[in-house]
Amino acid sequence: MTGLLLAAALAATPLSEPVAGWAFGAPARVFRGAELYGHIDGGAELYLELGFEEATVRELARDGATLEVELYRMSDPTAALGAYLARCGQETPADGLPDRHTAGHHQVLLWRERHLLVVNNPGGAPALRDAMVEVARELAGRLPPAPALDLFSALPAPGRIPGSERVVRGPVGLGAFITLGDGDVLRLGGTVTAVVARYGADAPQGAATLLLADYPDEAAARAAFAHLGSHLDPTIEVTRRAGDGLDFRDWAGKGGAARVAGRRLELRFDIPPR
Amino acid sequence: MSSHYATLTDSLSFDRRELLRAAGAGAALLGGRMVLGVPSAAGQQAPPEVTTNIDEFMKVPRGPHALPGPFPGRVVKVTDPEALVGDVVDGKAVREMVEEGIAKLTGRSLKKSFRLLFTPDDVIGLKVNPVGAPLISTRPEVVEAVIRWLVDNRVRRSNIVIWDRFEEMLPDAGFTPQRFPGVRIVGMQRMAEEGQSFRDASGQHISAGNFDPTAVYLARGVVGKGVRGYKDDEFYLNQHVFAGEESYFGRLVTQELTKIVNLAAYKNTGNGISMATKNVGYAAICNTGRLHQPLFFKVCTEVLAAPCIREKLVLNITDGLRGQYDGGPDKNEQFVYANNALYFATDPFALDMVCHRELVAVRKAKGVTVNEHPRFVEYLHYAEKLGLGVVAPERLRLIEVRA
Repeated sequence: MTGLLLAAALAATPLSEPVAGWAFGAPARVFRGAELYGHIDGGAELYLELGFEEATVRELARDGATLEVELYRMSDPTAALGAYLARCGQETPADGLPDRHTAGHHQVLLWRERHLLVVNNPGGAPALRDAMVEVARELAGRLPPAPALDLFSALPAPGRIPGSERVVRGPVGLGAFITLGDGDVLRLGGTVTAVVARYGADAPQGAATLLLADYPDEAAARAAFAHLGSHLDPTIEVTRRAGDGLDFRDWAGKGGAARVAGRRLELRFDIPPR
Repeated sequence: MSSHYATLTDSLSFDRRELLRAAGAGAALLGGRMVLGVPSAAGQQAPPEVTTNIDEFMKVPRGPHALPGPFPGRVVKVTDPEALVGDVVDGKAVREMVEEGIAKLTGRSLKKSFRLLFTPDDVIGLKVNPVGAPLISTRPEVVEAVIRWLVDNRVRRSNIVIWDRFEEMLPDAGFTPQRFPGVRIVGMQRMAEEGQSFRDASGQHISAGNFDPTAVYLARGVVGKGVRGYKDDEFYLNQHVFAGEESYFGRLVTQELTKIVNLAAYKNTGNGISMATKNVGYAAICNTGRLHQPLFFKVCTEVLAAPCIREKLVLNITDGLRGQYDGGPDKNEQFVYANNALYFATDPFALDMVCHRELVAVRKAKGVTVNEHPRFVEYLHYAEKLGLGVVAPERLRLIEVRA
């Protein structure tokens, strides 16, 4: 049997030893690759698309209290940041945690290097909030330091809605924003990283959502653009088509435009009808 | 393309012909095709369409309690801001909400409402959702209120069954014999613990006997990992009991229960919702892992169309004391909010349509990106076309009550 409940697989991992003052509770559960469906079922697709390797789930017990730790190891730091951003919402940081994180009464989410760390307080006891932070701090310290990522600098700052930035590597991530067509219509393939942010009406170009995808080379970008143009959802109405771009309206009448320049595909959508 | 991506697809694609059948003219909006295992891409041969045995289900004549029940399209929402404060549920307030909701739904007293939907001899399954406990699972207080109503109408506690598919999750969500004495608590399947085999002496999954091979949801060509020789077959089988083209219904629903009350939680799954129809659609059968990618929401409609469900599912109460507007179906505290509402319907599709719209509005209000493409409610229109529910806006009726 592979995957589930393989304690041996935990040797020399950040969860091979309990946090100081805590003891391990139930046996570890380890989920690799598509086994993630066994842990978060309908939530697994996004992780897999971003680049998921392994999740380890462990219980920590102390004085009758229990915390649950989930450690998601992704393929790279961008994938881990993407998973974190999809879950963090409006961040509410706790004192004393150095990494990017958000902390509540039931959960701490923390991004570090290529890991997403989740500490859950299953009983919801308020007294365990500090304990969650303490556990997160110690476990984060066992992970490699986070690299400096400059993912979102290409997205213009004026008018960008804080906290709206996301990482997209395929149809699941894109589908959170817009349905352009079936399958991997932008040909991101789980390896090309697109960054997305929403813009308010005060942005120079007005309210919209902006996606930028940098492909390995110009040919790949043009191929993706061509694929998009020939695989648009039937609800998308193309209003103008040119060599390097196309304008469209979505099913709700909102405007959009796709442009390719060099190895970059730029997609602007969710533009309110005039 | 990296290997992890090879099994991904657009999980919400629907069969175009089916949708045109299902949604009439409105389906012109609803494009796409089902795909198996890989994303559609230029130059690739179109994968085969997935066919199911829905026609067999629909050939069976409908009985007196068949979906959508006596109140197609009607949904009652009862709100009490004091029902949940912080993490504390006011059981008395919840009980009053349940009683108010049932009476408003049926337009009858609680006793007459009971007689409309049940008999004292019924064996009644209360389908809860323990996933995401305690943040966003079905609250025991809601279940207690329903049990009280049933027992007050002479249903024996031993004829009441709190159930879910996964046995392990029920205690974590508060469904224990200590809290519910005399009531049966049933998980239809178990997974093996560390160092143990999930197979019995005959080589069968330990839970195989809990499923009924004569009651099948068939999705042709869609198989679990166990059939095609993936090296981690065993993981899938441990979790899903069987792995072929057939998903068997639980014997609990085919042979034991005579009525079902559906007690879902209130949360999103991606751009859609994981509420009433999914609470039963993905729990009444085994071998569901294979279904997510090619069929997803369609399963919620078709499993509920099976006679063993549609003739027994007489009442749906969605526990919206808390809501989760993003990050679902697993718990995600950042997106959990106090909603303090319970929703009632005999028609689970109407109920899901109301809740879907409401959750979309919440997502917008909270500043979450919303993709409102019609495909995310196609399964509800499909159900209407099958005569299982009423979801067209002009025929939906939401009755709001403030406690």
